[in-house]
Amino acid sequence: MSVRPIAMPQAASPLHDRPSARRLLEVDWILMVATLLLIGYGLVMGYSITLEDRNFTGDIGQQVLRGVLYAVVGLSVMTIVALVDHSWLGTFAPLFYLATLGLLAVVLLGGQSTLGATRWYSIAGFKFQPSEFAKVFIVIVLAKWFADRDMRSPLTLIGGLVLLAAPVGLVFKQPDLGTSLVFLGMFFGMAFLAGARLWQLTAFVAAGATMVPTALGMLKEYQKARLTAFIDPYSDPQGAGWNIIQSLIAVGSGALTGKGLTAGTQSPLGYLPIAESDFVFAGLAEDLGFIGAAILFTLYIVLLLSALRIAHRSRDAFGTYLAGGIVAMLAFQIFVNVGMAISLMPVTGIPLPFISQGGSSLISICFALGALQSISMRREQKPIA
Amino acid sequence: MTDRSDRVFVHPRRLAAVALAIIGVFVVLSVRLWDLQVVNGAHYRELAEQNRVVRVPVLGTRGVIYDRDGRLLARNDPGFAVNVLPIDVPASRQDEVASRLAVLVERGSDEIAKAISDQRVRNPYEPVKVSVRPVARDIALLLVERAELYPGVQVTAEALRSYVDGPLYAPLLGYVGPINEEELAARKEAGYLLQDTIGKTGLEWQYERYLRGTLGWREFERDASLRELRTLALVPPKPGNDLVLTIDDRLQKLISAELEKGVKEDKFTQAVGIAMNPQNGEILAMVSIPAYDNNAFIQGVSTAQMKEWNGDYRRPLVNKAIGDIYPPGSTFKMVTGLSALSTGAATRNTVVNVTSNVLVVDGWRFYDWRVHGALDFVNGFAHSSDIYFYTLGGGNPYTGQRGAGPDAMAKYGRMLGFGAPTGIDLPGEAAGIMPDPLWKLAEFDEPWTLGNTYHAAIGQGFVAVTPLQLLNAYASVANGGTVFTPHLLKEVKGSDGNTVYTQAPHVTRKLDMKQEDLRLIREAARRVVTIGHAYMPDAKLPIAGKTGTAEFGESGGLDAAGRHKLGFHNWFVSFLPNADNSDPTAEIAMVLFTFDSSRSLCDVCFNPAVALTQRILEAYKGVSDKKAGAP
Repeated sequence: MSVRPIAMPQAASPLHDRPSARRLLEVDWILMVATLLLIGYGLVMGYSITLEDRNFTGDIGQQVLRGVLYAVVGLSVMTIVALVDHSWLGTFAPLFYLATLGLLAVVLLGGQSTLGATRWYSIAGFKFQPSEFAKVFIVIVLAKWFADRDMRSPLTLIGGLVLLAAPVGLVFKQPDLGTSLVFLGMFFGMAFLAGARLWQLTAFVAAGATMVPTALGMLKEYQKARLTAFIDPYSDPQGAGWNIIQSLIAVGSGALTGKGLTAGTQSPLGYLPIAESDFVFAGLAEDLGFIGAAILFTLYIVLLLSALRIAHRSRDAFGTYLAGGIVAMLAFQIFVNVGMAISLMPVTGIPLPFISQGGSSLISICFALGALQSISMRREQKPIA
Repeated sequence: MTDRSDRVFVHPRRLAAVALAIIGVFVVLSVRLWDLQVVNGAHYRELAEQNRVVRVPVLGTRGVIYDRDGRLLARNDPGFAVNVLPIDVPASRQDEVASRLAVLVERGSDEIAKAISDQRVRNPYEPVKVSVRPVARDIALLLVERAELYPGVQVTAEALRSYVDGPLYAPLLGYVGPINEEELAARKEAGYLLQDTIGKTGLEWQYERYLRGTLGWREFERDASLRELRTLALVPPKPGNDLVLTIDDRLQKLISAELEKGVKEDKFTQAVGIAMNPQNGEILAMVSIPAYDNNAFIQGVSTAQMKEWNGDYRRPLVNKAIGDIYPPGSTFKMVTGLSALSTGAATRNTVVNVTSNVLVVDGWRFYDWRVHGALDFVNGFAHSSDIYFYTLGGGNPYTGQRGAGPDAMAKYGRMLGFGAPTGIDLPGEAAGIMPDPLWKLAEFDEPWTLGNTYHAAIGQGFVAVTPLQLLNAYASVANGGTVFTPHLLKEVKGSDGNTVYTQAPHVTRKLDMKQEDLRLIREAARRVVTIGHAYMPDAKLPIAGKTGTAEFGESGGLDAAGRHKLGFHNWFVSFLPNADNSDPTAEIAMVLFTFDSSRSLCDVCFNPAVALTQRILEAYKGVSDKKAGAP
């Protein structure tokens, strides 16, 4: 296996690369503002959607505080990660890989179930969902894998897929079809950005396509029904299509300006399922209408394009691929989650970044954003005066 | 910045492609959102509202039916109906629900599944009734308690029609049943729903518009698990109006009991009795025997029962008072007589000398029932001489006496109401046949003969009437020349007891005849009784009337059971003047018709309808002996 030589000046030992005040000024401010606004948006929607939740019996103040706590933890994680040279992440990539496998294995063995899937376990009263962190960790692992190898070789791609196989298998076993698909999306997004040859990528996609029937055979009946229901939800309006129809009704009834925060009706009457996570976008669109959704989209676009800019400016291949992988991870989740709410995508349990409630999702994303800022802060190679 | 060549790991074009792809996907998402929220926002708002608010119809109870004295004839009993709201039945569970329901409501599961599917297409937010007959209380309770097994199934209290006297009034009242597809299509505008009950025949059909209550609506908020949260709005239904009929239940029962007895004693197989007030056309009683039990249709009539009724030659499902036509026999001599009087072919003094019981014309023999001798009009009518009325109808080629002729007979016959429905407020009325030469030419492509005139003159041949037509014709003579439209509806009352409609007498036409001629008929009709032609021993009422015997085949032969195979029907049309038999003041006129009276053909052969008339009228007027009184 050929290892691409790394130019020594660029790859000075990360151990000597200490944070400094000057580096802090190199933070990507646009990304930072978009991040803060999105976290704020998420807190507001968390309040509204919790109030609309018919099954919520707790104290709303406590719930908001919990959201704020997650945000504070997330921002702390982001800061810490940003302060560390991202090369360290690459250095510890094998550890991240092992940690991922360990967390996923533990959740399978001793995790708790919601709606038939074993996805999380409880730590001191907080739900911890390893697959959220697994996504970020796997981005790190793949970025490192691609950065250290010749992207022109098909062996690089095959090796990456082999690396991916174990976590994807474990997540699929939960079962969490959506997250498994996010992994594949990330992989191809990163490989594309890393410069893998198009014909190789195409060949992999084609080979994958031939395996679709086999893969479908492995799916459980309810997964298949959910996957196909979005094509024509009205073919079984009381069964597989029900969630989709109710989601469409929620989104559509929001109209241009929405029904107002906490004024949605679909969720309080129980028509909108899992409104705090999987169908959170439908709740948002119902409450705040097209305008609210457009604001959200704008923030997402700003965030994703800033991240791409960071990928472009990164001092090293690992940073570029890491940033690209984070873009792929976030974009894929956004598209699938929003697409699901408006019946453009099959129904899968993927959270909407920042908006879906849940500490694991927010904190893992903050981790990724911290890595982005770290890459941004270390982008320049100007000699130190 | 580092030299571009050092940064081989950056692929700007691929980064740009990803950026474009991201923007492209957001554009697609935004376009789709715009379409959902801005273009179709109103539609989805409505759907969200429909999710939240369910509007269900509440049916008003049907009006009840009384006789003229307020005796209940049709009422409502409490029962339960099973409805299905298709929107609440998951498609995957529809067959399962249908097969579960099939057992409980005793219907095929295919039928139920189809009813749900059809309604799903039509309007899934409106319940469809799946129970044909009302369900028992324990089944209703089961459906409510095990609701999780029956998604979308609703049990509603349903007023259940009950006919107090069953067969006695079935020919008049008819019955109600679940609305069918055609009826629904025709009445959708009027606010009918698939779970509606509708009058199928009889007065229930005729006065559907009065009897049916107006729909009310209830709006309630509910959640996704279909739990009802609260009622948002209630527009209570208005109960239907009640009908008060012109029927006198006491007279109806008197007539029915007498006719039933005759059938039981095998004097005849079927019978009709109608009584009316000649002064306004109100029907006081209308009996058709045998009849069917209309309650059977409410409970869901069995196919075996239906087969039996349809196969019965006595046609129990037909109201024979208006729905079947028969030769009127000698009762029709009134038409011949009035035609001859009105055309001037005869006067009260016209004498025909009946010296033989047979009149031979062109080799055809026309019989009379006896050699009467010389008869004037009153006695010709009273003795019911056939030859007298052959002469008045068709003339006598030997004596040169002129008759009214077939066209005049048809003209006056139609004036008296023959050959056309009377217009009574019941469905299924027959028109009867009032023949004339043109009619025969059109029907048979044959010219009219003198024999046709002779047969028509005595109510045989082509002439065919309904019992009601015959009664109405005599009633118009009894009241001095007014043909009323017979009617069963007296008034309509609101559920609060206030009268909302009163049926005024409706004049079909005035007879274009001389009062003295009508008076002559009344006088002659009274003489029918006084000379004993219609034998009424120890008569207590001045009944006037006319007998009729219509032959429908050879009589005299015996069948295997020793009965006379074929024979004749008997008529007696009567009226009861108040003071003097020639005054037009009669307040009751009645026709009795006994079908196949030759069954127990005796050696004396009295017309059974005469004695029955006497008994009924005397009992009704309360003047009968205990011995002769009706039960």
